[in-house]
Amino acid sequence: MEMFLMVSCMSMLALAVTAIAFGAATRPEKSSSADQLELRPAAKAVAPGRFFVDQVLPSQPQTYVPTEVLLAQIDHHVRLEQAAAQSFLEAPSHTQLHTKTTTPFVN
Amino acid sequence: MIYERPELLKDLTAEETQEVLALGTKMTVPSGGSLFRLGDPADRLYLIERGQITLTLPMRVRGKDQDVIVEETTSGQAVGWSALIPPYKFTLAATAPLETVIIALPREALRKYFAANPAVGYKVTLNLAVVVGHRLQLFQAMWLREMQRTVEKHATQIAGPGHNDYG
Repeated sequence: MEMFLMVSCMSMLALAVTAIAFGAATRPEKSSSADQLELRPAAKAVAPGRFFVDQVLPSQPQTYVPTEVLLAQIDHHVRLEQAAAQSFLEAPSHTQLHTKTTTPFVN
Repeated sequence: MIYERPELLKDLTAEETQEVLALGTKMTVPSGGSLFRLGDPADRLYLIERGQITLTLPMRVRGKDQDVIVEETTSGQAVGWSALIPPYKFTLAATAPLETVIIALPREALRKYFAANPAVGYKVTLNLAVVVGHRLQLFQAMWLREMQRTVEKHATQIAGPGHNDYG
């Protein structure tokens, strides 16, 4: 009986030491999982946008438009606006004045 | 010479037209060449005989001044009417996107001719009023369109998304 109790105590002690050693060895992993937990709310914030493709687009980084392309867009915008204004002058009306165009600066 | 009567000389007789054109000097602006720059003294009015003149204004784009188109004029049209209106400074820049032939009419020569021929001066002034008035009306409409969009955008920002009362 004494032998059995001694072996049990030794086993418990060995188990405790093993548990402490395991805890020490796995501590960094626990902290990184805590970081992941902190990041989860941010991930949840963009999650609804994934349901529709067009809602995800604003969260993506904006693409750089070369200056030449930008100038071409300005040129296009001016021409469309002049054409719209000219249409208004030919038949002045509230509707004609506010006709929508396909200019990228407005749409 | 096959020549379309310029808009500024509309309603003038053939003889009057020839007399006014004789006051000018024919010039060729090479492709990509500048006719006048913003702020230059305006002492000559230009009639486009052949080609095209692009009128531009500078706009600040990414920290650099870039010429933005204001108007494109072609044969028969007049540019540089600032030469007839104080303070006689060009309020736009003019360049030729392709080789363009123009007739440059000096202000002083025109003024003397109109003083001696008031009937012609009256007709030209009326034609000039049409040109100036058209540009004014065009830019008035363009300005109001831009203002409308600015107001819509501002109203949407105040009301928040989904509260655009302007359609």
